[in-house]
Amino acid sequence: MANVDRMTDQGNDGWTRREFLYALAGGILLASGVSAGQWYFRPRLQSETFVAKMNEYGGNLSGLMVEGFRELGVIPEEIRGKRILLKPNLVETSRGAPHINTHPLVLRGAIEAFLRLGAARVMVAEGPGHRRDTLAVYEESGLADVLTEDRIRFHDLNYITGYELPNAGRQSSLRTLTFPALFKEVDWIVSVAKLKTHHWTGATLSMKNLFGVMPGIYYGWPKNVLHHVGIENSILDINATLKPQFAIVDGIVGMEGDGPIMGDPKKAGVVVMGRNLVAVDATCCRIMGIDPNKISYLERADNWLGPITEGAIEQRGEAIATVRTNFNLIDAIPAQQGIRLI
Amino acid sequence: MRALPQGGFPPQSGEPFRCDATAWAMLPLLFFNPHHSLLGSAGARLAEAQAGDGSVSIARDHTKAYWPTALSVLAWSHSPVHASHSHRGVQFLLGAAGRHWKKEPDAPTQHDPSIPGWSWIADTHSWVEPTVLAMCALRSSGLAQHQRVSDGVRLLMDRQLPSGGWNYGNTRVFGTELHPAPESTGAALQALAGLVPYNEIKMSIDYLRGEVDRVRTPIGLGWGLLGLGAWGEAPKGSNDLIHQTLGRQERYGPYDTSSLALLLLPLVASRGILEAYNQHSAM
Repeated sequence: MANVDRMTDQGNDGWTRREFLYALAGGILLASGVSAGQWYFRPRLQSETFVAKMNEYGGNLSGLMVEGFRELGVIPEEIRGKRILLKPNLVETSRGAPHINTHPLVLRGAIEAFLRLGAARVMVAEGPGHRRDTLAVYEESGLADVLTEDRIRFHDLNYITGYELPNAGRQSSLRTLTFPALFKEVDWIVSVAKLKTHHWTGATLSMKNLFGVMPGIYYGWPKNVLHHVGIENSILDINATLKPQFAIVDGIVGMEGDGPIMGDPKKAGVVVMGRNLVAVDATCCRIMGIDPNKISYLERADNWLGPITEGAIEQRGEAIATVRTNFNLIDAIPAQQGIRLI
Repeated sequence: MRALPQGGFPPQSGEPFRCDATAWAMLPLLFFNPHHSLLGSAGARLAEAQAGDGSVSIARDHTKAYWPTALSVLAWSHSPVHASHSHRGVQFLLGAAGRHWKKEPDAPTQHDPSIPGWSWIADTHSWVEPTVLAMCALRSSGLAQHQRVSDGVRLLMDRQLPSGGWNYGNTRVFGTELHPAPESTGAALQALAGLVPYNEIKMSIDYLRGEVDRVRTPIGLGWGLLGLGAWGEAPKGSNDLIHQTLGRQERYGPYDTSSLALLLLPLVASRGILEAYNQHSAM
């Protein structure tokens, strides 16, 4: 994840500068009479998310994202000369159901925004989980027309030879994870996800979107290896190991009900951004009227990969209350039972 | 030409050897000219990659990703030089089955998970395309009557969508029927040709006919034409569709070797892969 100094990794065997300062501050607080309990239960991780209203895809999305970067402290010096990989959510296509996938114009907005900040190169890459025919999904989603026009290269992650990394999450039984070799050639990985409910995990957002980076040639279609070792375990392992730098969630029209494919379109009219994927997903859940504490992988990620408590996430842009729109949840789907945010 | 000087094929020019690309590339060559000079060295390179248990995996350090085994058996078929490798590959396939279990009455998925088929990766569930590839490998090796092929037929028929067509292998989830995909439908029809009555797959043929009219991707059109061709339903002008799809590389860049080979296959196997093997055997 971005902002390593904010994070405490499991098994971390050294103190970061921030931890040292926390400890020092803790000592001062204890000396001044603050209880050990208060200290222990402090919110250790903090992050910021940016929420912007955008009612249609024809709006100025690149301007919105540049504003989001500014609000989140992403400065040109940080992006200049960098190679940026955008990972959309392209699951499969169905005529008349564009709300399945990240909208191509959101990708265009992100590409333009990163280029405006001085990125050396922006590319888009995905490995759809259900379709072997990635080119069909790429075309039918409308993304091919946009990227061809913009001269942006698309990479099919399902067939790229991979490289192994030790599984830093250690939640599943997988000792290593295999990522596309392309990732060695990029500086930032950005999850450009869709605001959707999900029939196995309750919600699919920027963290779950990263299933699509795991090459099908090693994980199958669907990415069944990840299902057998536990979907939530795998979400956490991939995020802990890959440490993506940024997330953008397309919530202009999301999906409610039986997501990630068969659900209904839901106009939420928002774009959510942030450096920390856990915080972004927690914010998205609240916008959908879902309690992030009831989403298993988010609850487990809390204070490890990022914060999910409302007080630990500094909200920039729109307040959640002004954009919240309850997404329909289906009683017959166990993962969607009892997750409504009260 | 993408053929590597030391034998075999890479996924793209300039990349190293990979088993899946090599096996796929061998198939159109085999049906075009069984004595093609590249077949021997490519087959030998695949043989080098075969593990002691007969499997051929995507890479030596990813032995669980054994799905290229069936492709390798197809590529070695009718090559006397590689008969022992083919035999070991067949024995591996006969012993390999995806993870399967008894169906629970309240399961959210509709299909019967107890039917053994083949998986992409060891210790995972059976899905449509790896089952198709394994069935074709066994049928091309003279094992059309084997119980595992019969089980494969049962699996594929169980995974056929109620409205016709196949996807990767799920039919209904939480009561909702999922969408079909041309590549999965074509593949399933190829494997089932001659093994089930026409009326049991007619809806899928109808679906695929409509898709082939519009699909211009190498994987979708390649499997689509092979599936329809296997049932004598290939549309007129199939070769034109293939040439149109080849021409789209101007927009997207060179297709990867596996996709390109799949797209070219219907040119030399207009009635499907298995019929092409039969003709090859009769020569």
